[in-house]
Amino acid sequence: MSTTRAKPKKPTLKVTPSSRVMNVSTSGVLRVNHSSTYARSINASVSRKSFSLAADSKILDKSSVQTPKHTVQVFDENGKDVTPQPLYQPDPAAVMSKHSKIFASDTSGGTMSDFYSTAYQTTTNASFAGPFTRSVFGSSTVSRGSQSTMESMNEEIEDPSSKRDISISLSDVQVRREEVKELIKEEMLDDVVDRYLIESETLWLLHMPAVSVSVDSEEAESVKERNNLYMELCKNRMGNDKYVERSMQTFNGAPKTKEVQSEAITMVDAATTATTWDMYDSFRSAGLGEAALSPDTDKASVPEIVSNHRLDPTRAPERTMSVISTTSIASASSSRIEIEPFVVPSEDEPDPELVLQSEKFQQDLFVMERIILENIYQPKLAAYRQLPTLEDPDSVPKVVPTVVSRREESSLDEESTLTPALERLWSFSCELTSGHNVSSMAWNKRNPDLLAVGYGQFDFKDQKSGLICCWSLKNPTWPERVFTCESGVTTLDFSASNASQLAVGMHDGSIATYNVESREKTPVIDSSDCAHKHTSPVWQVRWIDHERGASGEDKGETLISVSADGRISKWFLRKGLDCIDLMKLKRTRNEKDKKQVGDKEKKSEALISRQAPGLCFDFHPTDSNIYIAGTEEGHIHKCSCSYNEQFLETYIAHKGPLYRITWSPFCSDVFLSCSSDWTIQLWRQDLFTPVLGFTSTQSAVYDVMWSPKWATVFGAVNEGRVEIWDLGASIQHFHHALVPLPSLDPTIVSLASPGVKLTSLLFATETDCILVGDSDGQVSIYQLKNLTVGEGTQVAALEDIIGSTLASQL
Amino acid sequence: MAEVEETLKRIQGQKGVQGIIIVNAEGIPIKTTLDNSSTVQYAGLIHQLVMKARTTVRDIDPQNDLTFLRVRSKKNEIMIAPDKDYFLIVIQNPSD
Repeated sequence: MSTTRAKPKKPTLKVTPSSRVMNVSTSGVLRVNHSSTYARSINASVSRKSFSLAADSKILDKSSVQTPKHTVQVFDENGKDVTPQPLYQPDPAAVMSKHSKIFASDTSGGTMSDFYSTAYQTTTNASFAGPFTRSVFGSSTVSRGSQSTMESMNEEIEDPSSKRDISISLSDVQVRREEVKELIKEEMLDDVVDRYLIESETLWLLHMPAVSVSVDSEEAESVKERNNLYMELCKNRMGNDKYVERSMQTFNGAPKTKEVQSEAITMVDAATTATTWDMYDSFRSAGLGEAALSPDTDKASVPEIVSNHRLDPTRAPERTMSVISTTSIASASSSRIEIEPFVVPSEDEPDPELVLQSEKFQQDLFVMERIILENIYQPKLAAYRQLPTLEDPDSVPKVVPTVVSRREESSLDEESTLTPALERLWSFSCELTSGHNVSSMAWNKRNPDLLAVGYGQFDFKDQKSGLICCWSLKNPTWPERVFTCESGVTTLDFSASNASQLAVGMHDGSIATYNVESREKTPVIDSSDCAHKHTSPVWQVRWIDHERGASGEDKGETLISVSADGRISKWFLRKGLDCIDLMKLKRTRNEKDKKQVGDKEKKSEALISRQAPGLCFDFHPTDSNIYIAGTEEGHIHKCSCSYNEQFLETYIAHKGPLYRITWSPFCSDVFLSCSSDWTIQLWRQDLFTPVLGFTSTQSAVYDVMWSPKWATVFGAVNEGRVEIWDLGASIQHFHHALVPLPSLDPTIVSLASPGVKLTSLLFATETDCILVGDSDGQVSIYQLKNLTVGEGTQVAALEDIIGSTLASQL
Repeated sequence: MAEVEETLKRIQGQKGVQGIIIVNAEGIPIKTTLDNSSTVQYAGLIHQLVMKARTTVRDIDPQNDLTFLRVRSKKNEIMIAPDKDYFLIVIQNPSD
């Protein structure tokens, strides 16, 4: 039989010339070894069981057999030489002289490769190779001779010594295979080598003769006869003397137990968890593009990626050393990642101190503090924000419920909650602020939870260094920012355009602006270098938004201040902070007094200054050109930005310094003023006498403020109490009686703690709460409860009241 | 550093705060105001809980991450701020 696959056989043909060379090279070695085992030993691994090799019978010397060399070439359809290289390339420089011995020219390639392959498997045991070689050779010769009997195989067996040598030398040859092959490759790359295809000899791999013969064959008779003979034999065997049964006993060798001990194979359990985020992390660390990071791509490429995450047993579970070996990734980034073992380095242990100092830790602490405080203050804050408060179901119920929500009114509290009252929620205070007098408070224009409080003494004696604290509603126990100033802070205001800018006026006349966003403790600008700075305490600063630029100046916010040196100044940034005077508050003498105090006046002409100290001012809510200012004399001047020489109007009613003057946010010609003469006056800008006056106690009223929600409500704080006045409520009775009003009563009164004076008042914009600052450094939050004012902003009501009051006065 | 100390002191002084524990990434407490056995117990148990919580969050969306964890129980509340280098644990009983 001939193999049909010619191709694999080709290279071997090529080998034939070299095989001869090999022959030559090995022949030298031939004489050395004379292994005696070649004859009979058949290696078990040899599958050619059928071969029973006779001894040296009929060893053919093949030296005579010389067939011309055949080289085999394989070309594929492109004409490229794709001849498989032989496994063994002997040194081509070797002389090719004797062609004897082993390999006939028409040794099939299969035999050659078989030989080689088996030879490589061999050790240097010649005996092993011996039968092999014979079998191989035998097969080759068989094919040639077209004889399939074993005898023919044996006949062709050649010189055993040569075979032995070859087998031995093959192991050496094996070593040289690589380099020889290399040489040939390089040389022959460009050569056109001729290859010839011929049919190879038949290879007998296994021959099992049949055990049965067909009836029709010629051997049938002989076989039958033989069978019959055998049957006779078996029959005769029973009683025949020729056959005797005998049993034998063999000595069994004494068994010996032999124990072998080996080291235990250490097993390590490796667990991997491939979670979605783990893969995402690994991808990110491997520097993939953004496309691969999307969760969709992750999921899509999951089956194609082989990633092993080995949990490092020595570290905490979340630190995994990821070893990614990606074989194929079907995603946009596939081209970039070839097979690369990738290890995510786990970081060194950060020093515990570093942990404590890190930014993230501070941030976390900050958040944690707020959360703890939220837990503590939750009912109060909820009341502030007018949310229903949640009762803690697990907390031990106290005897007196401390928080009563507006909506939940139990029968017990029904009476007490009907009257308007102030309920104290909490207070902003800490050890830093204790002992300081609260002089002013201002809400941040952008963040309604941020409050700036200025601390400073009003009197000129016991002046301490001033303090500014920015409090957040989320942390009533510690301010977010603390700025210390050289002198007491008397006023402050947040800018509306630049929400983090805070303007501060101080007792020594200097003005500074701070940036509350940064953590710096120093002001952004300071007016101490300004030539025209105020020489007396600045009593009020305000950021005013000019809609119409006056005298060609650009629009925007400007800082206006009033101080005790009688000037109202407008500040701007030119090369440093500089100011121009909007108005100088001249002392105006009352006409009436003038006549009466005739000569004495001359004496009293010796004034310290011609200017009246200004204490407060307020710009008109809609017309930013008009403003009113109050002085220490008790006069209110209405001025305009366009005229800085003269007042437009003067309102005289108060007998003492005016502490606060404020336009109503709803009715544009109504304003309130309060002074140390124990009164609060309600004015209308076209009337020179106040419309209404309010007195409650005999103490100076330090602060008054309109409610931002209702036109008829305002709050006032005097030394001992905070009062909420609701004109609509208290005037009801008066309205019908048409009697000139005596003194009205405030709707809500709340007393200060003993020993503490209340100094400032601020309404909260969104909620019904007020903030009251006192001389001990506390800013208390009170909630207005049950203040039923009615629907809407009550503008009409206010106007009604004013109208009716005026009518009644006529 | 001083600010951190101050803040920690303030937190410790707040109403109802029972203890503060700062644990590093391996689960070893760096700073604590509780006794040793409680600290170790808290550290170990909370570590596992945070790992589970974080895995949960990230399995749902790998681009997300856990920032804060609060466990409210009958007697107190445990607040945990996890990070890759540390855990900040505060136990508070707000109704005290």
